Amino acid sequence: MKKIFITIVFVLAAIGVQAQIDRSKMPEPGPAPEINLDDPQRFELNNGLKVLVVENHKLPRVSIQLTLDNPPILEGEKAGVSSLTGSLLGNGSTSISKDDFNEEVDFLGANISFGYRSAFASSLSKYFPRILELMADAAINPNFTQEEFDKEKEKLITGLKTQEKDVSAIAGRVRSALAYGTNHPYGEFLTEESVNKVTLVDVQNLYRNQFVPANAYMVVIGDVSFDQVKELVTEYFTPWTKAAPLSLGYSEPKDAQYTQISFVDVPNAVQSEIAVQNLVNLKMKDPDYLPALVANQILGGGGEGRLFLNLREDKGYTYGSYSRLGNNKWAPSTFSATASVRNMVTDSSVVEILKEVDRIYKEPVSEKELKNTKAKYVGRFVMALEQPSTIARYALNIETQDLPKDFYKTYLERINAITVDDVQQAAQKYFNIKNARVVVAGKGSDVLENLEKVSFNGKKVPILYYDKYANKTEKPDFSASVPEGMSVQSVVDKYFEAIGGKDKVDQIKSLKLVYEGEAMGAKIKSEEKRTADRFAQTTYMNDAPMMGVIAKGDELYMKQGGQKRPLPPQMQQDMLSAAKGVFPEQNFVAGGMAKIAGTEDVEGKEAVKIEVPGEVVQVVYYYDMETGLKVKETQIINMNGQTQNQEVLYKDYQEIDGIKFPGIRVGSMGPQKVESKLLEAVINIEVSDADFE
Amino acid sequence: MKSRLSLAVLAIFALITVNGQQVAYEEYDLDNGLHVILHQDNTAPVVTTSVMYHVGGKDRTEGRTGFAHFFEHLLFEGTKNIPKGKWFEIVSSNGGQNNANTSQDRTYYYEVFPSNNLELGLWMESERMLHPIIDQTGVDTQQEVVKEEKRLRYDNSPYGQILPVLGKNLFKVHPYKDPNIGYMEDLDAATLEDVIAYNKKYYVPNNAVLVVAGDIDITATKKMVADYFGDIPRGGDISRNYPKEEPITEEVRSKAYDKNIQIPASIVAYRTPGFRQRDAYVLDMISAYLSDGKSSKLYKKMVDDQKQALQVGAFNIGQEDYGMYILFSLPVGETSLETLVTEMEEEIAKVRAELISEKDYQKLQNKFENRFVNSNSSIQGIANSLARYYMLYGDTELINKEIEIYRSVTREEMQAVAEKYLKPNQRVIIDYLPEEKMDN
Repeated sequence: MKKIFITIVFVLAAIGVQAQIDRSKMPEPGPAPEINLDDPQRFELNNGLKVLVVENHKLPRVSIQLTLDNPPILEGEKAGVSSLTGSLLGNGSTSISKDDFNEEVDFLGANISFGYRSAFASSLSKYFPRILELMADAAINPNFTQEEFDKEKEKLITGLKTQEKDVSAIAGRVRSALAYGTNHPYGEFLTEESVNKVTLVDVQNLYRNQFVPANAYMVVIGDVSFDQVKELVTEYFTPWTKAAPLSLGYSEPKDAQYTQISFVDVPNAVQSEIAVQNLVNLKMKDPDYLPALVANQILGGGGEGRLFLNLREDKGYTYGSYSRLGNNKWAPSTFSATASVRNMVTDSSVVEILKEVDRIYKEPVSEKELKNTKAKYVGRFVMALEQPSTIARYALNIETQDLPKDFYKTYLERINAITVDDVQQAAQKYFNIKNARVVVAGKGSDVLENLEKVSFNGKKVPILYYDKYANKTEKPDFSASVPEGMSVQSVVDKYFEAIGGKDKVDQIKSLKLVYEGEAMGAKIKSEEKRTADRFAQTTYMNDAPMMGVIAKGDELYMKQGGQKRPLPPQMQQDMLSAAKGVFPEQNFVAGGMAKIAGTEDVEGKEAVKIEVPGEVVQVVYYYDMETGLKVKETQIINMNGQTQNQEVLYKDYQEIDGIKFPGIRVGSMGPQKVESKLLEAVINIEVSDADFE
Repeated sequence: MKSRLSLAVLAIFALITVNGQQVAYEEYDLDNGLHVILHQDNTAPVVTTSVMYHVGGKDRTEGRTGFAHFFEHLLFEGTKNIPKGKWFEIVSSNGGQNNANTSQDRTYYYEVFPSNNLELGLWMESERMLHPIIDQTGVDTQQEVVKEEKRLRYDNSPYGQILPVLGKNLFKVHPYKDPNIGYMEDLDAATLEDVIAYNKKYYVPNNAVLVVAGDIDITATKKMVADYFGDIPRGGDISRNYPKEEPITEEVRSKAYDKNIQIPASIVAYRTPGFRQRDAYVLDMISAYLSDGKSSKLYKKMVDDQKQALQVGAFNIGQEDYGMYILFSLPVGETSLETLVTEMEEEIAKVRAELISEKDYQKLQNKFENRFVNSNSSIQGIANSLARYYMLYGDTELINKEIEIYRSVTREEMQAVAEKYLKPNQRVIIDYLPEEKMDN
């Protein structure tokens, strides 16, 4: 009887199970998975080095990470010394040359790298003893040579030079400098001057004072045994002299007294860099650390954040807009909400970012936003556990950030317990909308007029001005740069006069120009034909037609291998208004768009700029103040939040049939320059419709 | 350092092989032909559910290219029980991540979830296999998305045309001649009937492998797999009989243009055997010898010492029917593309003419061992490898045994294989040139 009963139960169970699958319903998640976080094993050397070991025998490999948890240092007039120290470490040791060191590491298929207060190595576990030994040797007996020092210094300066006009580099520097002041380790910055002041002795001193074991942590993860690690680390790292880093005081940073725009004029900018920022006193051990992260995630943590949805998806101002909330145990950190936007929408973007920060400050987030954000954090946390480096990072954070031992064991629980109210409180505490600095780096002549009108919560936002190195300055005066008595008309007149006289120019009904140059080993020829309302340009590579551009009436398209490719409508319109005509200058005044945009030095001579603005394409022409001749032309294309810059220099004007044409054109595409010579200029050449097909 | 070991001593160490690594798995077929592979690893509470379909760019008829890639998109549109447009939200609001990719040979869909969402992952993949929504709206939408992707990935991305250009030059009759993403006119011409027929033919359990890997219980997982996938009807048998290529016996020269670049590239390519062949493994080693790492032959010579190239690489692009072996370099300053070709050939010629040194051979073995160890470091990676080895290589166990093939390759074999496939008369030289931008 009992047996039959059991059989029936089985049958029922089987049927029951079959019936359980209801495809029309999404399966519910099972109970939350249990998180197994191993506690690393630990030992300490007499010199202060603390070692954490995570045995993980899944794969026969090992990683070693050394971190010196020292307070930040102020480098002052020798800013750059820490960066140079980092680059000079890891180039062998006093007993192994750089080449031998690299060759051996490479042969073992391993990897060793250094920073000025860190080191990292990874290898197969069978090579662990040797890699650890090499790492210790390079760390304790560094191979600092004048030759390597000079090389690294030059690299660093070249790097600074390439960033001189870089809007995002300028913006980043000014943001930190304004947030912290330049007498703070997080506010100071490198200049060519400060790097030049650094000597090899400074590097050696910094190394001696800072690369010391008092606050050093080593994390070893992988297919090794605790005993082996203890034995080898003790052997190789005991010679590391016991010492504590020198600590120095520095100023206490302060937020702005009231919300203000800090503007940096970068005349070459084609996009504005915007950051709404304030200081935050947030440490990982603070009870509202996780709610603060969630608030930031909802505001601007990624592609589903409010900033992204508003500024990119809804308005199309930018390729992306995000916010970031830092934490730091030594000093205040920063909150910032940022976007890179095209010039024309700079003021609107500032307003939208301020609005979003204000909204999350004033209004509770929705339950759905909170639920989805929690799920994202849970997923991320759980998935990160697969990487052994995560376990190391957690162990290190617990030690260095003074966290409770169960910080990560209770992480998911605490994430799930966060309420809408917690998020709002954190937002109000850390997003300081009343004392925010809105740092904008951009092209003043384009953006300031509208930026001055920005108001927020019914109040005008005042603008303060700074130079590229965060020094206070006056408001740039753009009108002063337009030379007295000059107008678009006068510049055009002078230009026509210079190339042969307006009468002669007006008699030209059609024109053919051929230029030829060499690029990347190929002959590049450009042939263009122009009439008052038509334009055709063909580029040949080694005499084979490669590409063409044709404009007639209101239409503009590219030609390639017999295929016509129309350009986006706005682009067509912009290019036609800037470039149509036998000479584009003939349409400047009538078109009504062209304006004088100040003066600029072109190859050592002062030139006046005429700008033809557009939504997508902006063209600037440059005319020599003295001779009146056109010396340069630039074209900036701005699409989908990204920009592209092209430039042509005109030189060596030659007279052909009474009209002067540039004998040489130098075009640049990115870093490459292509010089072409005038081959042919024909005035009033016969043209047919076929030339513009 | 007092106890510094010499390289010779290390070389002996290196010959001791590693055996600390075995990927354990279980595999079986459902009645409808779906092959299932389960890999249990409870280290972290994460699970990957993935399905690989044996359908890729090459599975098409003339005039209907790019279908497999198109389906990669189409099959995220929704299913009978997953509303249109909700796929990604379901995944992310359950703490997961997902994606898909398509090659010339196969399409791979996967989700990664915290392990308490295993059932959700299986449900989603079974929904996709059983009854995806394929309607005119979805087809229209995804046609646009694919065109946008083509612009982004191929038309607007520097050196983005290289793969299509290689395909065109290395193959005359085999479908590898056409781009994986297809020709846009073919996609435009595709009717809803074409699309539905393609789905019926290829996206069936007997043409797929399901991998579940990570924090799972084998018995419970088997039951869930049976519940969700057991009822999906088997499709017809698929036979592939693509035309064979005649060997290349005379050097081919060709030019290609790309408007997104300023620096031209020199490409030298060879047609090689499919990746199941032993010779393909040997070619992998030759390519690492030539260009993997700063002490490799081409890098050291052309980038470091002679400063002729900004970058140089050798790649063996493995595929099911034929592979592509590619040397690629970007010139510095005035260096001509012809010089680059000569310099690259010089190194290949050495591999053909003489044995590589013992020390280089040992370095190669170390590299491949490192690769092998690291290739199985994530559950996602293991899931992908299990599916690939089963479906395309026909031997799941390669996940543990492939390293033995590399270990068994000798220096003599490297020389012989270079002589067999990498002769000047077998190569295709492509000058990949910048196309000048509009001058306004």
